[in-house]
Amino acid sequence: MSKFNFPSIKETNDLSNLRKEVRNFITKSLNHKEFEPSADAWVFSASPDFSKKLGSMGWLGMSFPKKYGGNERTALERYVVTEELLASGAPVAAHWIADRQSGSQILRYGNEEQKKSIIPKITAGECFFAIGMSEPDSGSDLASVKTKATKIENGWKLEGRKIWSTGAHIANYMIVLVRTSPASEKNRHEGLSQFLVDLSLPNVSVKGIPDMTGQRHFNETLFDNVILAEDALLGVEGKGWSQVVGELALERSGPERFLSHFTLLESFINEFKNILIKSGSKLIGKLIAELQTLRRMSFSIASMLQNGESPETQAAFVKELGNKFEKTMVETLREFSNIIPLYEWPSQLQNLFEDATLRIPSNSLRGGTTEIMKGIIARQLGLR
Amino acid sequence: MNEELGIILETTSKVLNKHVDHKLRQNIDNDNSDLINLWDEIEQIGLPKIAVKDKFNGSGLPLSTTLPIIKLSNNIGAPIPLSETILSNYILSESDINPPSGIVTYAIDVKNLKIIGNEISGELISVPYLNLTDKIVFITEIEKTKKVILIKNSREDKELKKNFLSEPRYNLKLNKCKILYIKPVNLRINFKQLGAIVRSAQMIGSMEKILDLCIDYCSQRKQFGRALSKFQAIQHQISEMAVELSASSAALSTITNSDDFYKNKKDIAILKIRAGAAAGKVIAISHQVHGAIGFTQEYELAYFTRNLNSWRNDFGNESYWEDELGKDFLENNNQNLWEYLT
Repeated sequence: MSKFNFPSIKETNDLSNLRKEVRNFITKSLNHKEFEPSADAWVFSASPDFSKKLGSMGWLGMSFPKKYGGNERTALERYVVTEELLASGAPVAAHWIADRQSGSQILRYGNEEQKKSIIPKITAGECFFAIGMSEPDSGSDLASVKTKATKIENGWKLEGRKIWSTGAHIANYMIVLVRTSPASEKNRHEGLSQFLVDLSLPNVSVKGIPDMTGQRHFNETLFDNVILAEDALLGVEGKGWSQVVGELALERSGPERFLSHFTLLESFINEFKNILIKSGSKLIGKLIAELQTLRRMSFSIASMLQNGESPETQAAFVKELGNKFEKTMVETLREFSNIIPLYEWPSQLQNLFEDATLRIPSNSLRGGTTEIMKGIIARQLGLR
Repeated sequence: MNEELGIILETTSKVLNKHVDHKLRQNIDNDNSDLINLWDEIEQIGLPKIAVKDKFNGSGLPLSTTLPIIKLSNNIGAPIPLSETILSNYILSESDINPPSGIVTYAIDVKNLKIIGNEISGELISVPYLNLTDKIVFITEIEKTKKVILIKNSREDKELKKNFLSEPRYNLKLNKCKILYIKPVNLRINFKQLGAIVRSAQMIGSMEKILDLCIDYCSQRKQFGRALSKFQAIQHQISEMAVELSASSAALSTITNSDDFYKNKKDIAILKIRAGAAAGKVIAISHQVHGAIGFTQEYELAYFTRNLNSWRNDFGNESYWEDELGKDFLENNNQNLWEYLT
């Protein structure tokens, strides 16, 4: 087990000051009614204006090199900023994927031209990304993707469909995982490649899929023989699998895996503090203990990323535990409605609670299911 | 990890691995020469006084630094009162009492204590390893001051407790027992908090061992023509244990890597809550995947799970600390939750 350690990382004074700075910014935005705190805001609540503002504060692409318009700050600084934004329920969905994973993929695998043209826009909060992994017939079994890119003169031809791409309808680009050659019999992970696809190209069509709450964030994207330039290939042809695994560590380890519904918990406590003091301290204590542990683990992973490590397994731990925590949290609040009936909760709190209840099943699906997380962990334990 | 600690860990590991096997665990008595030899070597490498001040001939390491050593000892499953002696001696030394040599234990709780002159009567509850020592430390309030008391009880009025624990534990009636030392307590955090930290480190060491036992057993044991570890249902259960363990370890490293953990009492509560909750799951899952063999005395799993059952209840169970933590947040400040957490 020693290989799954989460070394304890202290929050320095500089980080605490940054935290205060972000908090003041958020308070001001709230006072000016620039946003309404919402549940699951990193998926559901997109505001290109707010993203642009964050960009101008230097809080997007924080760790990117200055050469490409980045801020050359640490992964820990980025962690603090994202935590504050999530905890306040701010509308961060527009830039979330670009800032979290796509920018880093381009910096790692893109060519100079791509870095120069795209990274500064991500940092400014003016360029958004969607994830192109799942397909109608490929979900958890990602290596079975059928979307394919064929080499043509001076470029590639892209053919296939991607599905469940959150925010593709407002995104400028999608990083698409495709087959560039058939899988070998021994290794299904061979022959996959990643492409950087401009969603405004001809023959790309993005169609919304309302989710069970009736909202639109999901999309299905059809690539009907889209002609791509040579340099749309991101990284190395045939190395798409290892590239995508690295990307998933960024996707799974962050505080959005346990702070998606934090605004609900905090509003609930603020509303019912007097009753909780009498009969709810144990329940609240339990939630605090779990949440604080998750924060420590996720912060520790940020420091691993900072040191250039690839904490894919640790990310699976955080995602699995974070998903469980959020489900327990909503369930704990639900049971409390035994004491104060739901219809007597303030309407904003009722809305947050109902939104959370409906959306909570998705938290252990998106970014890899519970079953996939447990499989990853089992593999590392030597059981598979 | 600093270099000094690394060397101590390596030496400790050598000594324990040389002496500890499952047979030793089944004969925890003071006429077991193997056990006495093991303790002699533990003394030689200075572990009992590792957190004792220099002026009492100790190593003077911070208590937080000794946690990896305690964890290691219970990972190997050493049936000796190492954590009890380290903690007892630490409490004595901090309160300016020169710790005695040899094994020292403590009473987790006390009842109806009365002091007349230099003699004490009453009950000591839950005293680990009283079969190996007669030196007992406990803390009680006398005239509104908390006092540390050290006694040497040579009389045979102890009663072996039947409990979940693999290790011996006693209740003891004191009848005009002579007090060796009594001094005001000088601790930055209370006995319950200290005990909670140490027991958590012990639980985590044991849970790491249990996880290894599960992986080994399930990889070797075949049913329906394949190793148990190849069944997804088994893989997912063991993964869940690993997740619980990793969260507990993360909570422990917050304390271990901090020189001033005394200042943050929240982290102590969180550690005991997290480790106690993990222990519950680890006990259940490890027995489930082992089947009947895990339910026997001859196989070593139960030695570790029985200890977990006891330690998760010592010094406050999860409910106790959840309540404390919840109250600390709800009652003692006007912060909102996010401010409290950050």
